[in-house]
Amino acid sequence: MIYLAPFTYPFIIGAAFMFLIVVWKYAMWFIDLPKEDVQKIKKGIFSKATLYSVWEIFRESLLHVRIFKRSLPLGYMHCSLALGWFMLIVVGWIETIVYLGNSFVPLYGHVFFRFFAAPVLTEHFWILDFLMDFFLLIVLSGVFLAWIKRFSSRLVGIRRTTKHVLTDRLAMSFLWFVFPLRLLSETVTASIYGGGGFLTGSLGELFAAFLPSQLLSSLLMPFWWCYSISLGGFFCFMPFSRYMHIFTEIPLILLRNWTLRPTLDEKSYDKFEIQACSRCGICIDECQLQKVLGIENVQSVYFLRDKRYHMLRLATAQNCLMCGRCQQVCPVGINLNTLRLSTRAIMRNIPSEQRYNYFNGIDRSCGEGRVGYFAGCMTHLTPKIKISMEKIFKAAGEDVWYADSEGSVCCGRPLMLSGETDAARKMIKFNEELFRKHKITTLVTSCPICFRVFTEQYNLEGITVLHHTQYIASILRSGRIALSPEECSYVYHDPCELGRGCGVYDEPREVISRAANLMECSQNREHALCCGGSLSNFVIDDFQQQKIASSVVEHLLLSGAERIATACPLCRKTLSRATERRVMDIAEIVSERLT
Amino acid sequence: MIMQTDVVVVGGGVAGIKAACELCQAGSKCVLVERDSVLGGKLRGWHKLFPSFTSSSDVIEELLNELKQSNVECLLGSEVVYISSTLCRLASGTEIQCRAVILATGYNLFDARIKEEYGYGIYDNVITSVDLERMFHTGTISTLSGAAPEKVAILHCVGSRDEKVCQRHCSKVCCITAVKQAIEIKKMLPNSEVFNFYMDMRMFGPGYEELYLTAQKQYNVHFIRGRISEAAQLPKGRLQIKAEDTLTARPLIMSVDMLVLMVGMKAPKQNALFALATGLELQPSGFISSKDLFLEAVLTSVPGIFVAGTVTAPKTIGESISEATMASRAALKFIEG
Ligand SMILES: Cc1cc2nc3c(=O)[nH]c(=O)nc-3n(C[C@H](O)[C@H](O)[C@H](O)COP(=O)(O)OP(=O)(O)OC[C@H]3O[C@@H](n4cnc5c(N)ncnc54)[C@H](O)[C@@H]3O)c2cc1C
Ligand code: SF4
Ligand code: SF4
Repeated sequence: MIYLAPFTYPFIIGAAFMFLIVVWKYAMWFIDLPKEDVQKIKKGIFSKATLYSVWEIFRESLLHVRIFKRSLPLGYMHCSLALGWFMLIVVGWIETIVYLGNSFVPLYGHVFFRFFAAPVLTEHFWILDFLMDFFLLIVLSGVFLAWIKRFSSRLVGIRRTTKHVLTDRLAMSFLWFVFPLRLLSETVTASIYGGGGFLTGSLGELFAAFLPSQLLSSLLMPFWWCYSISLGGFFCFMPFSRYMHIFTEIPLILLRNWTLRPTLDEKSYDKFEIQACSRCGICIDECQLQKVLGIENVQSVYFLRDKRYHMLRLATAQNCLMCGRCQQVCPVGINLNTLRLSTRAIMRNIPSEQRYNYFNGIDRSCGEGRVGYFAGCMTHLTPKIKISMEKIFKAAGEDVWYADSEGSVCCGRPLMLSGETDAARKMIKFNEELFRKHKITTLVTSCPICFRVFTEQYNLEGITVLHHTQYIASILRSGRIALSPEECSYVYHDPCELGRGCGVYDEPREVISRAANLMECSQNREHALCCGGSLSNFVIDDFQQQKIASSVVEHLLLSGAERIATACPLCRKTLSRATERRVMDIAEIVSERLT
Repeated sequence: MIMQTDVVVVGGGVAGIKAACELCQAGSKCVLVERDSVLGGKLRGWHKLFPSFTSSSDVIEELLNELKQSNVECLLGSEVVYISSTLCRLASGTEIQCRAVILATGYNLFDARIKEEYGYGIYDNVITSVDLERMFHTGTISTLSGAAPEKVAILHCVGSRDEKVCQRHCSKVCCITAVKQAIEIKKMLPNSEVFNFYMDMRMFGPGYEELYLTAQKQYNVHFIRGRISEAAQLPKGRLQIKAEDTLTARPLIMSVDMLVLMVGMKAPKQNALFALATGLELQPSGFISSKDLFLEAVLTSVPGIFVAGTVTAPKTIGESISEATMASRAALKFIEG
């Protein structure tokens, strides 16, 4: 067979261009990886993690199981396009081998096999024809759903669909035409030469029966040209559009299984995460800024998009509660909050040598004991919680070193959230030394914000860090304090930093159930709502925060509970502003029920 | 039960009393409805009034005398739960049909417990300006242990000009009340030290600036520009407060025996209910909007509903009473068509 036809040039040029750009991109990203990450790759590459990744790539890049779990039609749309196309390539490859044996076939020979083979083939394998048509049909159904999604996203299971940039629109338009044109080209070919499966074959017969053969012959080349152009066009725009995710998710899954992660300092690995976003838009619906306040264009999909195209504005980077709800549902598993933090750090970090020199030598702690208590700034603004903890420590007979009863250096997380990573590190260093100096073995804090930074960023070897709910649960279990339960029902509000942030869901519930009746609302645990008072959003005002809080209170009270319990001074403050019902920290509930 | 009258005046504070008097004196029929069992509104809680130190009971007495002579029909202990321009419904179910309504339902005091960082309701010697007026009534200022405080901090703007509690507006009278109260403390306890923490001193009225100077010169009251950030309890019921002196740009920690919170005025929730039922417009602060700030301050967006006093914004007594006169005139003009 001779594989020479000018109509293949658009495809060849597009594919070559795409190949070069993608390889060049990946090469640059890999070269720029920091040493630790390279070490991790070396360690992981010959481990079980690699095998597991292959399975995960199949599951997520082709089947899209996580999107299926979210919405059936949306999952089907992604799956049919990815798996269908993939199978067309695989079966197409087998087809050429079956028909031509081991002789060399150029890439475009595989792609346009029907064009080259139809005039010369004498026998047909119906099963191959069937499979090729079957997968083409699957892909076409996916394209059809994608069209529907543009007109009404609700029909495919999401409320809002992403607003795209120009390269996305161009690539998408080409992509939409690729498969319908393939269908037409193969149909016309079949109408002239015979062959084809249940789809192209039958349609071909239909064409042959109703259209003059002269017309069909004159249509043949234009269709194949259009098909080739749409493929080539798609490939040209692909590396600059959201479709870069098709390839990028594969190295991302490998790297992630080799334990690479984004950090507070931006690094080359982040590029894999950023460009693996398919702009599916699943994160948009999840965001309360969207749902309650109607704020658009700041959600993670837009943040990643703007960052990738270097058009990110500070106001976008800073308009986020860092509640982590989007991260929870992102089917690609992108570390959205960390990426936002490292970006804020580039935009805002103000290096200053002298700024915190006055830390030197200050120590306003008091008391003595192996257990240290760090109330945290927020708890100082809600003194009832602090007093309750003091009462509980006393009841348990605990000797406590109070780290910050007379004032202290901040835990550092608020500065970290605002992007001032260097300043935060100074505070971290100061507090680490303070804790070590007083030789504590356990550190209890009432604030999930402090708790998270203690566990994630502090080096506190030899010191067990506990949130006060965990501490209270342990002394209840060991019988060091006892409670007389009250006839009152509480619904528990999971604070973002404690729940999604640190994975503490059970101890707070355990403690409440020992003190009163615990009730649940439907959006709880990993799916809990953010109270709205987050320290991380620098754009919305207090009235907007209050609006979010009111919507959260409304949802919590749907549980039928009389009161609201939480385990964060900030949540407690924010929610109590939005309701007349009592909103209490678990420490307060416990201290009131001590026997 | 169904009653009938020309005008219903809702709220028996100073504004409501004055409006009812004016209406009756002009020969129209009117009913004054008050939720409490007594008339007078917030004034019943104040001891002496700024800027003249007139006794608050003198003002109430004067108004009540006028009320008696005008033969106003008063419904005490009756809360109005629904209004329209031709009907008022009471909590008891009684309906009053009328031809116009004057809303003089006033304001609520900001609940200081919401600013929990100051420890009201938690620490012994954190009180509000209202509690202090109560102490003035009894004639002694003392901490919980019964001792006279030696050092007192007064914090302005609690629940005013504070976005964090969604109260963006200025409550207008707290600054001058704080000056007045500081002087009263110094008069009763000359050896005490008094520190006022303010954001701005808004001495807008006649004689206010002079009183502010008197407080500094004659009574040696200290004024520090800066908001207190938090309070904490020390042994023996003393309090430690943290603030920033923004004039010297220094953080400041001080121990005091008593902390007085100048609670602001908050729009009552019922304003929103009234607005919902009638189409009255609300300001972002929750107070009711006047039809026009200059020429029709006592009219509202609904014909037949008029406003007087602090139902539209924080005001002094004098301002509230003048508005009452205007509102009654406007209502009369309205019903005479
Ligand atoms: C601490 C403090 C000190 C002050 N000191 C001074 C001072 O020295 N000098 C000065 O000029 N001003 C002072 N003021 C301001 C003064 O209190 C007000 O100007 C005045 O009270 C306004 O009167 P009013 O009638 O508008 O409202 P209010 O006094 O609030 O009266 C409203 C009345 O309406 C009634 N009401 C409300 N809703 C209903 C309903 N649904 N049905 C029936 N009745 C209802 C209420 O029970 C109340 O009696 C002070 C304010 C504060 C906070
Ligand atoms: S961030 Fe995740 S959820 Fe959001 S659009 Fe990208 S892939 Fe989808
Ligand atoms: S972290 Fe929360 S607020 Fe931020 S984009 Fe995600 S869902 Fe929205």
